[in-house]
Amino acid sequence: MKYGIFIGTCLSLIILQTTILPYSNVFSGIYDLLIPFVVFICIYLPLRESLPFVLILGLIMDNLSGSPFGLHLTFYFWLLVGVRWIITFLRVGNKFLLSIIAVVAVLIENILIIGTFLLSGSDWQLPADVIKNIALQFFWAMATAPIFLFCLLTLLKRFNIQLNGVATHP
Amino acid sequence: MITVNVILLSITSKSRSTLGIGRVGLSFVAPFQELVTRSVRYTRGVWGHYFFLVSVAQENDTLKKMLNESIEKNNQWHEIELANTRLRNLLNFQKAPTNRIVAAEVIGKDPSGWFKTVIIDKGKAEGLQKGLPVVLPQGIVGQVIEVSSHYSKVMLVIDRNSAVDALVQRSRARGIIKGASADQCRFEFVLRKHDVQIGDTVISSGLDGVYPKGLRIGRVSDLSERKSDIFYDITVAPFVDYETLEEVLVILRSKIKAMTSER
Repeated sequence: MKYGIFIGTCLSLIILQTTILPYSNVFSGIYDLLIPFVVFICIYLPLRESLPFVLILGLIMDNLSGSPFGLHLTFYFWLLVGVRWIITFLRVGNKFLLSIIAVVAVLIENILIIGTFLLSGSDWQLPADVIKNIALQFFWAMATAPIFLFCLLTLLKRFNIQLNGVATHP
Repeated sequence: MITVNVILLSITSKSRSTLGIGRVGLSFVAPFQELVTRSVRYTRGVWGHYFFLVSVAQENDTLKKMLNESIEKNNQWHEIELANTRLRNLLNFQKAPTNRIVAAEVIGKDPSGWFKTVIIDKGKAEGLQKGLPVVLPQGIVGQVIEVSSHYSKVMLVIDRNSAVDALVQRSRARGIIKGASADQCRFEFVLRKHDVQIGDTVISSGLDGVYPKGLRIGRVSDLSERKSDIFYDITVAPFVDYETLEEVLVILRSKIKAMTSER
C-alpha cells in the first residue's frame, strides 16, 4: 500500500508537470514538483528504500526532459545525500524545515542546470529570463512546497501508513 | 565521486548521449501522458464546441474571407507549379519525390522550463528515427532526438541546443539559427556585408543534412550591428507557436535524402 501510494503520487506529479501545467499560463514557470517529494521520501523512508526510488525517478525525468542525460539522476542522488546529511544535526519532521529544504533544493537544481549549459561548451549567453525563471520557481516553491508536503503527510495519515525512516510519525 | 559525476555529466552534455537507456522512461510514462493529454483535449473540445458557439459565426466569416484569398493564391501557385514542371522537363531535372510524412500528436512537454522538448505519439513502429525533421505548414518545429517503439522526443528549434543552417529568403544571406530564451531564436554568423532587414523571412538552407531546403523558420524581429563584430546580431521570431503546439508532421528520411540528392 505504502509503495502503491508513493508510485501513484510520483507518476501523477510527472504527468501533471508534463501534460497539464505546461499548457497553463499561470503554472508554466513552476519548479520541479518532484523535489519536495524526493525530500519527503529521503526523510520518511529508510535509505535502502529511498535510494532506488530516487534513482528511478531521476532516470524517468532524464528520459522525459531535454536536459543532458544524468542531470536529474545526479541532482536527486545528491539531494538524497544532502538531506540525509542535514538530518543528522537538524530536527526532522518539522514541516517548516522540510519546506525550506525543498525551496533551497529548487534553487540548487537551477544552478546545476546553468552549470550543465556551461559544461556543454556551447557559446551560451546568459539570457535575460534566467533571473525571471529562477525567481518564478523560487516564488512557486515558497508558496506551494509547504502545501504539497502537508497534503502528502495527510494522505499517508488517512491511509494509516507508518513510515520507518528517520522521521517515523508523519 | 563528485568528480566522476561531473565528468559523466560533462560527457552527456556534450554528446547528448543517453547511454542506451534513454527510452525506458519514455516507454513507461508516455502512455499515461497520452491518456491525460487526450482526455484534457477532449474536454476542451467539448467545451469549445458546445459552449462557445457565439464567436463561431464571426470566426466563420473571417475564415471564409481567408479561404477565398487562399483559393486565389492557390490558383497562382498552381500556374507557377505547371511552369516549373515544364521548365524542369526542359532541363531534364528529376521529379521531386512524393512526400512521406507522418502526422503525430504532441502528448507531453518538457517538465523543466529550461529545455524545450516535446513528446509525440509516434515512434519506431511508424518509421521514425533519430534526427528526422519535424515541421508544420507554418514552419520548422524541430528534430527527433529520441525514439522508442511508439513514442519519440522532439527537440524544438527554440531549444538552446538546437541549430539550423538557414538563409534569408530575400537576400540569400546565410547563417545558423540557434535557440534562445522566451520563444525566440538567434540568427548567428550572418556577415554584415549581406543585406538583412527587419521583417525578412528566414528559411532552411538544407545544408545541415537534417531539414529540407526552403522550409520557413521565422521572421527577423530585431537586428543590430556591433562595430567590432563582422557578424550581425539578429533575433528571429519563429512562425510556429510552440506554446500551443498540438499536432506536428515528421518528414521521413527517404524524402530528405531524395531532396538532398536532387539538389
